[in-house]
Amino acid sequence: MDQPLQSKLSSLCLISQHKLETILSLCGDKADLIIDPSLIKPLERICGVTWLRQHGIEKIYKMDPQLGQTVNTTKIYFISACKHKYKCVLDQISSQISQNPSLADLKCFNIIIVPKVLHTYDSILESRGLYGVVKLHSFSWELMSLDDRLLSLELPFLFKQLYVEQNHSLLSSVSLSLWSLFHVTGQPKCIISLGKLSSSVLDILEIYNETYSRDFVSKDTDEIDTVLLIDRNQDYASSLLTPATYSGLLNEIFNITCGHLDLNVKETKYKKGKMNFTTIPEDNPKKITMNLDSSIDSLYGEIKHRHFSEVLSVLSSKAKLLKNEDIKALGIQEIKHFVSTKLQQVALFKQNLVNHVLASETIISEMNNKFENVTYTENEMMNNRNKKSNFNFVDENFGTDIQIYNSLRLMCLLSLTQGLSYDEYNNLVNKYLLAFGYKFLYVFQNLINAGLLIQPVSLKLSLNISNLSGLSDRLPKWQTGFQNQAAKLKQLPSQGDTKSSPSYVFNGSYVPLVASICNILFTSESLSEALTKLSSTLELKLSGSLLENMKDGIQTLNEKLSNLKLNSELEYGCMDAKSLLKKLKTDSKLSNAFSFKTKSVLVFVIGGVTYAEIAACDVIQSANGKGKYSLSVHPLR
Amino acid sequence: MDDDDYWNTSETKAKAFSFDDDVLSPQEILAIGQKPYSGSGEDGILNSNISNIKQALVPISSLVSSKILDLLVLAQSGKDLKETKSEPEETVAITLKRLVLGRSCSLQVHRSLKSKTELLDGAVAIGDGNAILTVVLFLIQTLNKKLVYELLSSRPLALSHYIGNLQSEGKISELTDLLTMLARSPDSAIYQFQHTVKNQGSNVDGLLRKTNNLLANHFNQPGVDAHQAKMVADYIKLLEWQSLAKKNELNNKSALECLAYCCKLHWSEGAGNMMSPLTVCQRQQISPLQYEWVVLNVQANLNKWDIVESLFTKKDWLGRTTLSSHIPVESLLARLSELRAGGRLLATAVNTVTNTEERLRLAHKYKIHSVVIETFAKQKDRAALTNYKMTLNPQSEEYIYAENTLRESVRMS
Repeated sequence: MDQPLQSKLSSLCLISQHKLETILSLCGDKADLIIDPSLIKPLERICGVTWLRQHGIEKIYKMDPQLGQTVNTTKIYFISACKHKYKCVLDQISSQISQNPSLADLKCFNIIIVPKVLHTYDSILESRGLYGVVKLHSFSWELMSLDDRLLSLELPFLFKQLYVEQNHSLLSSVSLSLWSLFHVTGQPKCIISLGKLSSSVLDILEIYNETYSRDFVSKDTDEIDTVLLIDRNQDYASSLLTPATYSGLLNEIFNITCGHLDLNVKETKYKKGKMNFTTIPEDNPKKITMNLDSSIDSLYGEIKHRHFSEVLSVLSSKAKLLKNEDIKALGIQEIKHFVSTKLQQVALFKQNLVNHVLASETIISEMNNKFENVTYTENEMMNNRNKKSNFNFVDENFGTDIQIYNSLRLMCLLSLTQGLSYDEYNNLVNKYLLAFGYKFLYVFQNLINAGLLIQPVSLKLSLNISNLSGLSDRLPKWQTGFQNQAAKLKQLPSQGDTKSSPSYVFNGSYVPLVASICNILFTSESLSEALTKLSSTLELKLSGSLLENMKDGIQTLNEKLSNLKLNSELEYGCMDAKSLLKKLKTDSKLSNAFSFKTKSVLVFVIGGVTYAEIAACDVIQSANGKGKYSLSVHPLR
Repeated sequence: MDDDDYWNTSETKAKAFSFDDDVLSPQEILAIGQKPYSGSGEDGILNSNISNIKQALVPISSLVSSKILDLLVLAQSGKDLKETKSEPEETVAITLKRLVLGRSCSLQVHRSLKSKTELLDGAVAIGDGNAILTVVLFLIQTLNKKLVYELLSSRPLALSHYIGNLQSEGKISELTDLLTMLARSPDSAIYQFQHTVKNQGSNVDGLLRKTNNLLANHFNQPGVDAHQAKMVADYIKLLEWQSLAKKNELNNKSALECLAYCCKLHWSEGAGNMMSPLTVCQRQQISPLQYEWVVLNVQANLNKWDIVESLFTKKDWLGRTTLSSHIPVESLLARLSELRAGGRLLATAVNTVTNTEERLRLAHKYKIHSVVIETFAKQKDRAALTNYKMTLNPQSEEYIYAENTLRESVRMS
């Protein structure tokens, strides 16, 4: 029972496997599995092909709208909760039934949907006359352990859904995964939430607790005593800035899915996002993938969080070490021993070394000329200096070497830190649309919806009286607010203290919010002290076992709802930190519960964590000798 | 109590049903006489004809057993046997819990506007989008649209879920109605635009027809951003050009991609010609900066350095070659060196930098040896030049140039 936490976390896939097994047993034997290609990598972390065969899968196909007839009658479609893909599957099933009406009575169609079947899916099924013909199954896999102290839910589409479309349909899946996790790790003493989605996740978590866990005595845990749950939009700067760490830059240049990096040095992700002026077709090089997991590749573990400028020297020193380990001087017996025990290891190490060198060279050749200027300009933006020349830099970037994502990131960062005037904004929009097509006009609306970009109001419009009411909301609050908040939480380092500061992950420009919060948690004498510091600038909510004693007085969902006012906070699964702190003054029992000192934090970013943030948290952790786990819906950038 | 007396007391009558019958029994007339008759029709008057002509009734228990009686009551109510038993009432909280947990549940029990509203507010407060959308769709089914829209307009989260659903279902006209009613026509315009470009693919004529329609009917609405409307108009101009050009590979490509195509295949065509790069440039108002960048990349990749040179350099009145470009010199140098431009062009470019230190830095960075050597010579810095010579490949052109420069400077000094 009491295994080390890390091995428990990496074994979470067994629970996922068990869940899948239960679903497959309902689908029948001798089945075809038709899988959405984007789910192959995550599924590989749960089970292998042999396992699937043992559980009734005969043939495996990639899901494709043009997919023809498959071999077996029983079919299991495996897709993510995307309405478009779902309808595509239903179209295929309908056409099969129209060719062979007897299939309808065989109950041979199954759709497994990750992470869950939404209510609307049932109605769609019904309206297409497929209710009773097709069976839907929810498969909510557990958090996946991608690397040492890095967990991910691997639902990359969730950021867009939650923040751009403001569609919170899958929020309960985040709650469900936390609920499962706490059954394995034990209840954390304290859960701190920052942001609207995070507090909703805690409310939904409470519904799960109330419904299912009443009979289970939740055990406390010391391994993870504090959980920090945070919305991605609370710190967009960390996802917009150019990272300076090795792992961060790898993600700038290459495609990484589910912890696997596609080492395509000819056609990098970065290059693909630029305009292509050459017509020579690139020959397809052999596909090399790197597994970004330090338990498999120790070399990666050593360099992943390093500032990129140090990486090559580490790699070359490793190469020298290899050279010295030459086996010339060994005797026959020693050689035999070496071959049987170490050779494979050394060969693997060599292969990893070669791959890392190759990756580093690609980073240098693609970023070389820009890195310095970009990070310099970003630093000026963060500190609200030289707005004019920052804009000129961005404008030139849009006019020349424009990149479909990175250029937008620069624009967003400038908009959030220093603001863009109506004319500046439109100038950039125009250049972008000329380069990539007017069809992308809606992209800017999406960025505005997600809060990544602030739309400036034209002078003409703002004179219109009817618009004045909405004007106060539209005025860029961040312009001064951004630097204000960042300064209060010590996120903008002064020059000179960058060596030991976690801001190195952004070349000394900025300390990610999660790192700042963790630092305060670790360095405070007690939780109440930390909360006092944090809640002066941040709107925090609390939950966790330390509030258990207050539960007697807490209302049921029924009562909560009946007292609810329009658009007010529910405060069902979590409570406002400020009002709790006030209560501490009078309630000695409660203040006792808040007197513990944080030892380990699990950070969960709803919408995805960045590699730079992980690295920054790593610095905080080693500086304080504390344990810490980063978790995310999906590593973002 | 005697049955007759019960029915005939006036208190009971006032509360009980009123049968619309104007025949009064003698007893009733008497009763009215005893109490002042209000005369208004509101005071129901029970017709007691039945009691008048009544026969002796048998007790109800001799007709049916009490169990059967319950059954008769139940049957008329249309309810389930179980429901009437102590089944907990389907409260808003219970329904919401079931929705969140993904259990099957019927929303049909919530029929009053009050409980529908509570359901919506509860779902919004919990924040589970799956529950929110389910409730909204239930409201759409069971309330008239006007009421639903009123509820949604003060609940932005519920509204965004409904909008998202209309979008993904492709119900664009309903979406437009909704947003127009909420005075959000600008949003409606951009949603429709997104829908159009995603559904038409690269079909230029279809796109052209639809976007023209959008521009005329939606992007000219008050409140729509003027620049956004201009972008759509520019899009139409480009689509018109593509439709005339009749080149499949250009369909729905960006303006700069079309420009690159024309630079590649129609470079020499004059300004009046449709396929001329200049025509595309003027039509789409491509800035000089972007124009130069495209030409530079296209022609350099085709190895037509003469075109690149003629674009960026001109002879001044002294016959010297100078560089004129909208691309800032550092970016130009970086790109030229990536494209492996010749030393002469690089030297011309770096020589436009007037600040000596900056010029030296760039010349070093891009290995433009001649400029480094000349700059050192101008500064009369023999030591630096000698050092620099050591870094060069012996017998190379630049090595000899450095040596000659050193020799000359001795002669001159």
